[in-house]
Amino acid sequence: MRLRRLLLLAVAAVLLAAAGTAVWRSAAPRPETAHGIAEGLLCPACQGESVAQSQSPMAAAMRDTIDQQLAAGRTPDQVRQFFVDRYGEGVLAEPGYDGIGILLWLVPLLAVAAVVLIVLRQRRRRPAAPPDRDPRTPAPPIGRARMWDTVAVAVIALVAVVAFAGPDHDSADPPARAAADSTSSLLTLARSLEGQGRYAEASEVYRDVVAQRPDDRTRLRLAFTLLRSDRAAEAATTAGQVLHDSPGNTEALLLLGLARRASGSPDATTTLRRFLKAAPDDPAAPEVRRLLARS
Amino acid sequence: MTGQIGGIVLGAGLVAAVATALLWSRVALLGVSARPARAATWATLAMAVLACAVLEVALVGHDFSIRYVAENGGRDVPLYYTVTSLWAALDGSLLLWLLVLAGCAVVVGGRRPERSGPLQPYAMAVIGVVAVFFFALTYFAANPFTAVSPVPADGPGPNPLLREHPAMGVHPPLLYAGYIGLVVPFAYGVAALLAGRTDRLSVTVVRRWTLVSWVLLTGGITLGAWWSYAVLGWGGYWAWDPVENASLLPWLTATALLHTLLAGRRTPALRSWTIALACSSFLLVLVGTFLTRSGAVASVHAFTASPLGPMLLGFVLLSVAVVLGLLVSRSGTAAAANPSPLLARESVMLGNAVLMVAVAAIVLTGTLFPLLVQAVQGHRAAVGPGYFNRAAVPVALVVLLLMGLAPLLRPGRAADLRDLRVPAFAGLAVAAVIGMLSRPGVLALAAFALGAYVLTGLAQSLVRRRGDLRRWGWMTAHAGIAVVAVGVAASSAYTVSSERQLRAGESITVGGVTARLETVDRLGAANGMRVRVRLALGGDAGGTSEPQLRYYPARDLTVSVPAIRSGVTGDVYATVLGAAPDGTGATVRLAVNPLVWLVWLGGGMTALGALTAAVRAPSRRRSPSPSPETPVPVGAA
Amino acid sequence: MNRRRIAGAVLAVAAVTVLGVTLASGMQRASGDTTPAATGPVTQARTGAAPPLRGRTLTGARFDLTTLRGKVVLVNVWASWCDPCRQELPVLAGAQRRWSADGLEIAGIDIRDNAESAHRLLTELGVQDLRSVADPQGTAAVAWGARGVPETFVVDRAGQLRWWAQGAVDAAWLEQRIPPLLAAS
Repeated sequence: MRLRRLLLLAVAAVLLAAAGTAVWRSAAPRPETAHGIAEGLLCPACQGESVAQSQSPMAAAMRDTIDQQLAAGRTPDQVRQFFVDRYGEGVLAEPGYDGIGILLWLVPLLAVAAVVLIVLRQRRRRPAAPPDRDPRTPAPPIGRARMWDTVAVAVIALVAVVAFAGPDHDSADPPARAAADSTSSLLTLARSLEGQGRYAEASEVYRDVVAQRPDDRTRLRLAFTLLRSDRAAEAATTAGQVLHDSPGNTEALLLLGLARRASGSPDATTTLRRFLKAAPDDPAAPEVRRLLARS
Repeated sequence: MTGQIGGIVLGAGLVAAVATALLWSRVALLGVSARPARAATWATLAMAVLACAVLEVALVGHDFSIRYVAENGGRDVPLYYTVTSLWAALDGSLLLWLLVLAGCAVVVGGRRPERSGPLQPYAMAVIGVVAVFFFALTYFAANPFTAVSPVPADGPGPNPLLREHPAMGVHPPLLYAGYIGLVVPFAYGVAALLAGRTDRLSVTVVRRWTLVSWVLLTGGITLGAWWSYAVLGWGGYWAWDPVENASLLPWLTATALLHTLLAGRRTPALRSWTIALACSSFLLVLVGTFLTRSGAVASVHAFTASPLGPMLLGFVLLSVAVVLGLLVSRSGTAAAANPSPLLARESVMLGNAVLMVAVAAIVLTGTLFPLLVQAVQGHRAAVGPGYFNRAAVPVALVVLLLMGLAPLLRPGRAADLRDLRVPAFAGLAVAAVIGMLSRPGVLALAAFALGAYVLTGLAQSLVRRRGDLRRWGWMTAHAGIAVVAVGVAASSAYTVSSERQLRAGESITVGGVTARLETVDRLGAANGMRVRVRLALGGDAGGTSEPQLRYYPARDLTVSVPAIRSGVTGDVYATVLGAAPDGTGATVRLAVNPLVWLVWLGGGMTALGALTAAVRAPSRRRSPSPSPETPVPVGAA
Repeated sequence: MNRRRIAGAVLAVAAVTVLGVTLASGMQRASGDTTPAATGPVTQARTGAAPPLRGRTLTGARFDLTTLRGKVVLVNVWASWCDPCRQELPVLAGAQRRWSADGLEIAGIDIRDNAESAHRLLTELGVQDLRSVADPQGTAAVAWGARGVPETFVVDRAGQLRWWAQGAVDAAWLEQRIPPLLAAS
């Protein structure tokens, strides 16, 4: 019996020693791999993907950069600093654990501490008195039950009225949300057309949007695209309307002036001067000055 | 026309849900007959079914006058994906959500008291309120039935990432059903607090629903991980992405809940715990829903920004406030001394719950941290896998350590630690052998050792007490978790990968596998363009591998579909990152991921084991327990 | 007992408030992200010395940015696989024609591209006289801190970075920023 015990102890000792050595071997710091560095960087062109994960060309370029820099003998920290210098702190997938980052450790610790505290106290506490409340409420008087019913019926009726009589459900006008949705997608389309320089098409789309939602900004985009697609007269009209609604809008003034200038109207110079006076520091101001000086 | 019918159905559903909530609270407060309340519950379900049916009809019939169809339908989409596109985007998935919720309500509101327990009216009122909220949300903020004009001739089809594999048709419904199933524990928890009788919590009901939800969540999360691996093509399966975390959080608290429920049958001290966990699981579902549906976090999986945000936020905060308020005001009513020794089942279960809460706290903090930085400092920040691996993984390893005790635990009695000798030796031996042969890192080494220790312990118990069929469920589930741990450790420690720009005939070698680029083909397809790269594999694996790059013009999206060749020791995982337009070369990423299949196997085992337990649970009746299950009509007079 | 309950209530209120503020800030961020400020490229002023840029151009000639000290240099990151670049390259060629006499140099960085398709695109657009450094791995663009394609950096005569634009620049953008830099000697 004793022999068996000794044997067991010996086996345990040998295993412990072996496992300890194994852990010690594993614990020795390993050189950080390029993949590890890439996992710690966020791809600047993506939605919440790391450089290691992303398939975007920019992420691939960043992976190659990491490889190059490591091959050139830079340390992983230097590589990370290289990216922080160029892309800002936001490129790091892990926040620094100083400053507000300490919360990442503090909050879970506090939560667990609170939980453990409650558990320990419950273990120590004497049995509490049985619940002092009897949940079985005595039968309420008939009158109260009636009143309750009336209120309930009223609530249901109210919900029904809101749900069905609300303007949302009138089949005659298109629902407000659908309209908002379609205008926003139209706006995106118009912007992308404009971005591609297809001003004539963009202006058509902007015109549709303006028909549904005539806000100043969209009308000015319309005026701008009209101007770009050589329809200066229409651009001038649109910009004029915006200016009429909000006289202080300098961008409208600028567009009106440029449109008048493009259509050869004699008022162009005065309008542009007014713009310069109203917004001398506008980024477009130097250009306008140049235009005025030339004419 | 269809759109108007859909809108009316949704409105009627809202009214029915309001009626359900009111009628059930009438039953709870006034103790009257539940018959009208049940009718209203059925009516709510009928409306939810109808709403889904109407949208399906519109989708299958390509009725592009309906906004949802215009945004997610497409004439060239196969029927299967047309049907599943009901949940391919936010608004449609809310309808599915309503359907499952109403279905849960009908089952819980049923007439058989052993299925619903004494707190049924209160719980049903809570479920009713949740249903009112989600119907209102769908109807007012995300109505999929609104009209589009002008009516487009065709739509873009559902998100291509969801069209890459048929399994993706199943993944969202599984997760949703798992999420919503947790409303039942939540409702019973709140009901117990509302009624002021935490001792009346219907353990059987809560346990069954939690188990079912847990099975679905486990399945959903595993499928999600697999989808991430086999479709997204970045080479991994878990990125600690906010959306992934959102699914993990309720899973963690539900796991803790399952264990406290088991021990709480006899220990009153665990009751308030159980209730807090039951409530928090669904609250975390709501927080997760907010995070993923309002566009608050940057993620590949997140739905785009939508007007749901403010409404959801309001409901999340209201629910959290109500639950916290109830917990605070009822605190101290349910505590009792817990005389069990440190290694008795109760204490270990409690320890497990604390650890699960710790993991959940870490994951939640890490997920919300970028938002907090945004709020406080106004700039972007990110929390990557590094933090989660460093903070959550060690705690998870301690969970494994406790899990190894499971086969030895007895209620109310200390476990006999001598039974732990063989598993402990096995664990140490595995650590020693693996640690001598390679250097996987301390965490991975610990995971291997603990995995071996848990599995050996389960095997030992199986040999000693064979034939005890009641134990199969949880034992399989535990074994599954240990297998997942080993798979995760192996694949994260030993994965090797490399990428190169290759021309035809050139090759890349990774981990003993050589891939030679043979051809790059451009194939025009009806709904996009694809580039197929043919790689000849040499070395350990033979044969060819054909990763693809697919471009979907309708959504301006490029998907890199990996080619995975699975073997016993691991997968050879090839992806195309880019291709030269003239077809002479391509950028190829080649990886060898060892033992990834263990993750899928383990996930499947876990879900299956829990399912066995769930199926067995109702038939088991324990006689001497101090009858928290005895059907006593609360509030009935 | 009562005091403990009050403490609990205070903690609960604090927890709900923190959660609310945190989640609400996320919502704000979401809506902030979806409305890009305006059309056109996102432009930021930049400071500091321009990073080095040297290598072989697409035509095989040597290129070194330091030899261009004293000129205004517009560095454009592009690739043949990038769609908006098609619109942008002719604009850049126009700018080169217009301002090269005044001291403007345009240098492209053609990232992760192969030379043939780059040549084909330049020929197709008729802008072969645009000079570009071949950057097959994209590392030069990363050294400049580019986040995507197309992007444009403007370096002044003193070799200092001045502007950084994400997205295709247009004639108006150039008109607004190039002449002042050319004027400053």
